[in-house]
Amino acid sequence: MDFKLTEEQELIRKNMREFAEKYVDPIAVEIDENSRHPAELFQKLAEGDWLGMPIPVEYGGAGADYLTHVIAVEELSRSCASTGFTVSIHVGIAAMLILLFGNEQQKQKYLIPLAKGQNLGAFVLTEPGAGTDIMAATTTAVLDGNDYVLNGTKTFTSNGPTGGTYLVFAWTDKAAGRKGMSAFIIPRDTPGMKAGEHFNKMGLRSSQTSEMVFKDCRTPRENLLGKEGAGLAMAMTGFDHGRTGIAAQSVGILQAALDESIRYSKERVQFGAPIARQQAISWMIADMATDLAAARFLTYHAAWLKDQQQPFSKEASMAKLFASEAAMRHTIKAVQIQGGYGYCKGAKVERLMRDAKITEIYEGTSEAQRMIISGNVLR
Amino acid sequence: MPTIIACFKWVIDEAYIRRGFSGDLDFSSVDYKISDYDRNAIEEAVRLKGSHGGSVIAMTVGTPEATKGVKDALSRGPDQACFIADADFNKLEPSQTAAILADVIRSRIVNYDLILCGEGSSDLYAQQVGARLAEHLEIPCISFVQKVDIDGGQVVAERRVEEGIEIVAAPLPALVTVLPEINVPRIPGVKDTLTASKKPVMTIRKGDLAPLGGARLQTVGMTAARMDRICEKFGTEAAEITRFVDALRKKAVIS
Repeated sequence: MDFKLTEEQELIRKNMREFAEKYVDPIAVEIDENSRHPAELFQKLAEGDWLGMPIPVEYGGAGADYLTHVIAVEELSRSCASTGFTVSIHVGIAAMLILLFGNEQQKQKYLIPLAKGQNLGAFVLTEPGAGTDIMAATTTAVLDGNDYVLNGTKTFTSNGPTGGTYLVFAWTDKAAGRKGMSAFIIPRDTPGMKAGEHFNKMGLRSSQTSEMVFKDCRTPRENLLGKEGAGLAMAMTGFDHGRTGIAAQSVGILQAALDESIRYSKERVQFGAPIARQQAISWMIADMATDLAAARFLTYHAAWLKDQQQPFSKEASMAKLFASEAAMRHTIKAVQIQGGYGYCKGAKVERLMRDAKITEIYEGTSEAQRMIISGNVLR
Repeated sequence: MPTIIACFKWVIDEAYIRRGFSGDLDFSSVDYKISDYDRNAIEEAVRLKGSHGGSVIAMTVGTPEATKGVKDALSRGPDQACFIADADFNKLEPSQTAAILADVIRSRIVNYDLILCGEGSSDLYAQQVGARLAEHLEIPCISFVQKVDIDGGQVVAERRVEEGIEIVAAPLPALVTVLPEINVPRIPGVKDTLTASKKPVMTIRKGDLAPLGGARLQTVGMTAARMDRICEKFGTEAAEITRFVDALRKKAVIS
C-alpha cells in the first residue's frame, strides 16, 4: 500500500494552489455576491490545461490521471467551490463521457474544443419532475428522417447559461424502461434548445444554473452519443466520475474551513488567550481535521480505482456521501468558531457554509447515495 | 545562439513552517519549493531563449530527494537539467555550493554564455553563491539586476542600486544575479509538469567532484521572531494626543 502521491501530482497540486491564490481568491467574494461566471478566469484555466486535465493529449487534454484531476478540483474548491465544481462538471462528466462513449468523429468535433477549454460542457438530465427518480423524466427524442427531434424541459442544469456543448438525455423508447433513454451531444445555439435565466441560489452562486427548454429541437443522428438506449447507463458512469468530483469539491471546502478555523482561533483572544486553547474550540478543530483526512482518503481511493480501471461506483458514492456531509457539518462549526464575524458577508466561512449545502444535494442526494451504497453492500 | 545556465536552490517553503505557542518552530510537515528569486532566474533564462534562441540548463546542488525540484524547474521551460546530488548536500554553505557549481560548469559545460542566479535564497539570503561562482569561473558578475538582455557578444543589465538605476554591460560569458522585479514567474500548466520528466537530466554525484572544503558555519539555534502586542489607551484631549504622537515616534512608526 502506497499513500504517497507522485512528484507530478504534488507539483500540480502546488501549481493549482498558487493559481488559485493568485487568480481565484481575489475575485471569490465578488463572483459569489454578483452570481457572476468569471469568463476571464476560465480563459486562464484553459491556458494552463486545467480544463482538460484527464483527457488524453491527442484529444486536446493534458493526459493526467483522474486522481490528478481530483486533486486540482480540491485545490480550486478550497478557494472557490463554484469554480471547482464548474471544472468538475465540464471535464469530469461532459468531456469524460464523450471520451468514454463518443466515436472518433464526435471526439474530433466536440471533445477537443472541450478539453482545450474553448467552451464549457454541461450534463442535462434532471427535470422538474425527475430528480432522484430519473425514470420519471418526460423529455423525448423522436427519430425523424436523419434527425432526432427533442421535446421537454430540463432544470438545474449546471453550466446551462454558459455552456457550449450539452449532453442531453431523453427517451427514445420510454416503453423500454432503463434501456429506453439515449444521450445526445447538442452544441449551443442549436435551434429549439434554449437556456433559461440563471437561478438565484443560496450558495455556489457563480456556478451558472438554469432550465433548458427543448422545443422541436432537431439534432442530426450523428450526435447520438453511444448506442440508442444506452443513455441511462452512460449517465450512471457520468455520475461515478461526477460524484468523485463532488467529493473532491467537498474536501476542498472542508480544507478551507479547517484553514480558516485554525487561523482565526489562533488569532482571536478571549479571556486573555487565543480561543484555540479552549478545549471547546480545539476539539471542534480536531474533529474537522479527522473528518477531512477520512474524506480525502475516500475521495482519492475512488479516483485511484478509476485510474486502475476498476469499478468505483460504490466508492464514489461513499466518498461523495461522507465528504459532503462532513463539509456541511464542519462549515457550520467554522462559522460557530468565528461567531458574529463569521456570520457576516465577506467572511470566507459564511460562503463555505452556503456552498457546502449543495454538495449534499446535487449529483445524487445523500439519501440517493445511501440507496446506492446499501444496494451494493446488501447485494 | 546562447547557452544559458539558470541556477536554483530547492528550499523549505516557509509557508509550511509552523510556530508553536511557545515560539518553537515545527518543521515536521514542511514542503519544499524553488527558492523565490531563483524562479525569476529560470523564467528570465527561458525568456532570453525565447528572444535569442539557444538552450537553457537548469542546475542545482542538493540532496537526492530534490528530484521534485528538478522536475519543477524543468516544467518552467528549460531544455535540460544538471542535478548535483548527494545525501551530504543538505547543509552546504554558500562557499561550498559555489565551489561545486564552478567545478561542474568548468568540467562539463564548456561553452556557456550566461549564468543566471537569484539575488539571494529564500532561506539564508546570504547573496554569496552568484558572486562566488563568478569569481571561481573568472567571469564578470552583475548583481541586483532588474532587467537584462543579450546584445551581440555582451550582456546588458539594469542594476537597481540605492542612488537609482545603473545600466552596465559585460562581455560574455558572464553571471547575473536577478531581483524579483525582473519578471513574473509562470505557473506551470498541467502538461508542462507532466512532460518535465521526459527532459534530459545530467546527474552528478559527490564522488565525481573535486574534494570539498569543510563547513565553517554552525547553526546554534533557531526560534521564531516574536511579535508582542501592547495595548495602550489614549484620550482625546490635546495632552493625550501629544502623548500618542510621542509614543508613535518612540516606536519609529512616524518620524
